[in-house]
Amino acid sequence: MVGSLRLGLVLLGAAVAVLGGVEIALLAFGNAGPPLWLLTGFTELGWTYAAAGLVAWWRRPSNRLGAILLVGGLSWIGAGLVNTTVAVLIAAGQVLATVPLAVVVHLLLAFPSGRLRSRASRIVVAAAYAIALVGPAPQYLFTPAVAPDGLLFVADRPDLAALSGWLSPVGGVAMLAAAVILGARLRHAPRAGRRVLAPLYAYGVLAAVFVPATAWARDLLGLGPELRFVLQLVVLAGVPVAFALVLLRGGFARTGQIEELGAWLGSVEAARPTLEQALADTLGDPSLRLVFRVGEGYVDAEGAPAALPRPGSGRAVVEIDQAGAAVGAIVYDASLIADPEPVRAAGRVVGIAVEAQRLTAELRASRDALRRSRLRLVEAADQERRRIAQNLHDGLQVQLVLLALDAAQVAKSADDAADPTTRDAATALRIGIDDAAAALRRTVHDVLPATLIERGLATAVEDLVDRLPLPTDLQLSVADRTLPAAVEATAYFVVAEGLANAFKHSRARRLAVRVTHHDRGLEIEVGDDGIGGASLEAGTGLRGLADRLDVLGGRLVLHSPTGAGTRLLAHLPGTDPPPAPPLPRAQPPHGTGSPCAS
Amino acid sequence: MRVVIGEDEALLRQGLTHVLENAGFDVVATAADATELLRHADERRPDLVVTDIRMPPTHTDEGLLAALHIHREHPQTAIVVLSQYVQRQYAVELLTERPSGVGYLLKQRISDVATFCSDLHRVATGGTVLDPEIVAIMLTRARRTDDALDRLTDRQRAVLALMAQGRSNASIARQLSISEKSVVQHASNIYSELGLPPSSDDHRRVLAVLRHLDR
Repeated sequence: MVGSLRLGLVLLGAAVAVLGGVEIALLAFGNAGPPLWLLTGFTELGWTYAAAGLVAWWRRPSNRLGAILLVGGLSWIGAGLVNTTVAVLIAAGQVLATVPLAVVVHLLLAFPSGRLRSRASRIVVAAAYAIALVGPAPQYLFTPAVAPDGLLFVADRPDLAALSGWLSPVGGVAMLAAAVILGARLRHAPRAGRRVLAPLYAYGVLAAVFVPATAWARDLLGLGPELRFVLQLVVLAGVPVAFALVLLRGGFARTGQIEELGAWLGSVEAARPTLEQALADTLGDPSLRLVFRVGEGYVDAEGAPAALPRPGSGRAVVEIDQAGAAVGAIVYDASLIADPEPVRAAGRVVGIAVEAQRLTAELRASRDALRRSRLRLVEAADQERRRIAQNLHDGLQVQLVLLALDAAQVAKSADDAADPTTRDAATALRIGIDDAAAALRRTVHDVLPATLIERGLATAVEDLVDRLPLPTDLQLSVADRTLPAAVEATAYFVVAEGLANAFKHSRARRLAVRVTHHDRGLEIEVGDDGIGGASLEAGTGLRGLADRLDVLGGRLVLHSPTGAGTRLLAHLPGTDPPPAPPLPRAQPPHGTGSPCAS
Repeated sequence: MRVVIGEDEALLRQGLTHVLENAGFDVVATAADATELLRHADERRPDLVVTDIRMPPTHTDEGLLAALHIHREHPQTAIVVLSQYVQRQYAVELLTERPSGVGYLLKQRISDVATFCSDLHRVATGGTVLDPEIVAIMLTRARRTDDALDRLTDRQRAVLALMAQGRSNASIARQLSISEKSVVQHASNIYSELGLPPSSDDHRRVLAVLRHLDR
């Protein structure tokens, strides 16, 4: 959205540049009168206003002052048309002649947010535009001298033309009203703000009255018309520059926008952008980040840990307190926002909302931490099983083979020495050791079958079914090693536990195993035609498996009506554990809405 | 008979070497990993390779893969793979690759020195040897789908299992303490029950039986 705004601004800037260029061309070719540099003064003023407006709009997208400045720029270019030689353009110029002055009044009263907040200011601005449009009308309608070949000339009526004189005091009254409003604002402004506002207001008022005043005072000061014109241009050109500068650099100016933050807080939740976005727009820093205090550190809105910038990184931090406790921090670009005060002010305004979001973020963070911790436990358990299996294979089993070899050696020596008693005892010992080794193999297989590690899920499940003495339908549509290790191991344990339960308790005559891997994950089904009546709660095996599946983002379901067989169904995501699902919408009173939004 | 041994566990490598040398085998080289084993097999051209399935670096089935490779490169070299546990799939892979001159045994079988050495001799002369445990698994699996196996008597199934392990009639008779003649009688009954073509050749017989079991 910011991108499309910026594109629009670039196009607007290009349009204004072209308009001004066309106007200068018209002035250059059509005029034999005053020098060109005098005639193009209005165009240059227009460009100055428009440029200041575009910069302000670009940097403070939510602030309307930029738009007003741009309108001011266009009105100056419009007013400049009066010096061309094309009749219809001259007429347009005459109509617009004093509109730029009304724009200055508008700027003054709309500062700093660009919006007219009080009824009085709206009336004054409306009046200013009306007077600016109506005021010059008697002149160009009824005075032939002003525009001899004027398109708008109606009749030579000096009596009606004199109405202009009456309208001037009305304009003065409007200006006075504006000054009164500004004075009242100054009185209520904080002292720091007053230092910026007072000169700005004073300058604006001066500029607005300067043009008519120089007209009245020309005889008093004895200034030549050219000098007077240049003076007017300079004073008026300073206006947009001053407003834009204060808007962009002056920390005070943003308090107006912080009021907008308040409006954001009151807006309907579904329609409003995230708090972070609102702060970024308000403070004019698109890189602004809002982080929440959890424990000793910070997390973002999703609960992911967030580090504060180091000093000297060009980014600054302002802490947000709520009821004396640190609830969060605003991280912003120190080169874009030089003064931390408006950031602090914004932080105070949104404190409660931040606290509410902080609780949500904290919940998310702790839930993520819990999930990660449980996953680590599962992985640690698998790792441990693997280690135990490996140790038994590499250690104890090798030792048993060597011991059995020794026993065989003893038996052979005894046989050579014609000692049948010792020979038979040693042979019995060897066979006993072999039995122990066989028992150990079964144990290792139960802990974690080597097949699962060496080949993967499909081969391991096949191996499991191979060893079953009951008729078993096996449907496998999963390849070895296509799934994360934790998922493969969990799926294997589901099949193993399901088959063991069916074999031990169900009195089934047929079993069925189905393992299907598709793009939504892994489906596992272990069924039998036994007596049913099994329960997830009975025994620790299935309960532990259900926990394990939950950690991996899967689920375990058991259908076991009495007398109608048992079906154990499991679903596992085919990837590593997913991020925590979003919290219920009702949870955050001032939440970010969907976590996908950011 | 010239033998190359592949075993990563040093003590077991020594023990195995000792057992084989005592039994009159000529151990020409030993290897502690699959790469070394392949090199020795290439250079020494042994009559027999005896190797562990689990070998460095991954400690999974390097030994088996090496054995299959040697089988392809040197068909005259017989292969016996040893494992701490048995798995039907590995046996099937071995037998599919080339169903003669191969053996698949649990490591624990080494300690029954006499049986182990006679198994090695049988493999070296083109026979097939399967561990009793793997045959038991194959029988269990086959019985689920093959009613004919259920119709056999316990004694007939015991004879069938020994036949599948690659034993000769004499060896089966000794094991079951029956006469060789009754082994022949049992075998003929088993053939007709399972619909197998009769065969006097031990080696052909074991393949027929295994094919029947691994349908």
